[in-house]
Amino acid sequence: MHKAVIIGGSAGSFQVITRILSAMPANFPLPVLLCLHRLKHVRSGFVEALSIKSSIPVIEPMDKEQIKPGRAYLAPANYHMYIELGNKIALSTEEPVNHSRPSIDLSFITAAQVYREKLIGIILSGANRDGAYGLKRVKDHGGMAIVQDPEECQVKTMTDTSLKMTKVDHIFNTNEIIRFLQKIKHP
Amino acid sequence: MSTSNYEIGIVDTRAVLKILTSMGYDFRDYALTAFKRRLEHVIALHGLKNADGLMGKLNSQPEFIDQFIHDITPSTTEMFRDPSFWRVLRDEVLPEVFKGPSQPKIWLAALDSGEELYSLAIILKEQNLLDKVQLYANYSSEKTLARVKAGTLDMRNIETNEANYLRLNGKSTIHSYLSTTASHAFDPSLVEGVNFIFQKTTITEAPSAVRLALFRNRMIYQNHFLQEKTLQMLTNSLVAGGFLALGVKETLENTNTSNKFTVFNDNEKLYKRKT
Repeated sequence: MHKAVIIGGSAGSFQVITRILSAMPANFPLPVLLCLHRLKHVRSGFVEALSIKSSIPVIEPMDKEQIKPGRAYLAPANYHMYIELGNKIALSTEEPVNHSRPSIDLSFITAAQVYREKLIGIILSGANRDGAYGLKRVKDHGGMAIVQDPEECQVKTMTDTSLKMTKVDHIFNTNEIIRFLQKIKHP
Repeated sequence: MSTSNYEIGIVDTRAVLKILTSMGYDFRDYALTAFKRRLEHVIALHGLKNADGLMGKLNSQPEFIDQFIHDITPSTTEMFRDPSFWRVLRDEVLPEVFKGPSQPKIWLAALDSGEELYSLAIILKEQNLLDKVQLYANYSSEKTLARVKAGTLDMRNIETNEANYLRLNGKSTIHSYLSTTASHAFDPSLVEGVNFIFQKTTITEAPSAVRLALFRNRMIYQNHFLQEKTLQMLTNSLVAGGFLALGVKETLENTNTSNKFTVFNDNEKLYKRKT
């Protein structure tokens, strides 16, 4: 039984993530961790934009916030978002990784260390290789690795790099990702 | 910072913590995930391969500890991080801080890599207040202190620093604060009046009667227990009506000190000590 879903995306992922969030069952049994590249100096607006159509609450967490099921947690601007033991968010101002802060790799690596085989990692469209190594770590720890079908991606760098580094479990288009998530039931 | 392939395990992390504690540097109440990543960073930086390599170096070269503290401390990596915070500080907080008796005390309770201190000094200088204040800053590494005193901040971030400075509508340009004698350095005279206080891993000595304390994006590296302890030190050092600045994703909510403060600005996480 899975414990969390983590999704990473960059250029071309906003509409995909909006569709996914709008199709989530309101009682989705897992937390959804979102690490999306964003403008570092724009603190407000993004979580509001994602919330408009989302059927689950989208939160920009404070440091050490407790992670709860049925909510989406968006990595804040200009912070790395780690998953801490005890099911908490921990934020960091450490140096950018892959020119990115938040870095998808770091969120995925730390989530993989905490949730191990009970994690589902999903990489969406993006113009940067950030996230590819993180998805590999998810798979190395026994978790499930899913990549958006590059044929559908606006920008393929992130998905192509992920597919090169990891033997993934599924290559899904947006509708298939949605159907997959909708089938996740309460334990 | 890179994502190296080496991941330090929990057993090795505990072994490193034990050595550090025996050397007087107690990191046991630091947030674990970030601390592990910092250890991996130090191990990669010094080509030590793994935790055994790091422990061997700490044991055989005790003087390495200062370099270790320098490297393990997360840098702020940009000046004027959150320009809107610095605007509020300049336009709303400083006028109140300087209302009281002369020479108010301002305390930067953690030095990081120097960016916060230089940002603060530049803001004060532009308000003609730098020579009217008593500045205090806590530091943990002599190497860090030497760099800060020489003005050698990381110049790779100069474009970010400049963009942030423009967003807070500064009076000049960021380049006007560079050293005229040394290349790749800020003007060290900005910080020559600062009183530096040494600490190991947590605040042990604090100035009293402080009117403004800054501790931004440092609590994120601590666990809840250490956060409470630090907040107690910060609270005790502040005068009634004094200000406390935390990082924009840090909060006094759900801490034991929340009832000692009122919220001055929630977006920028500025708090005011109750009377």
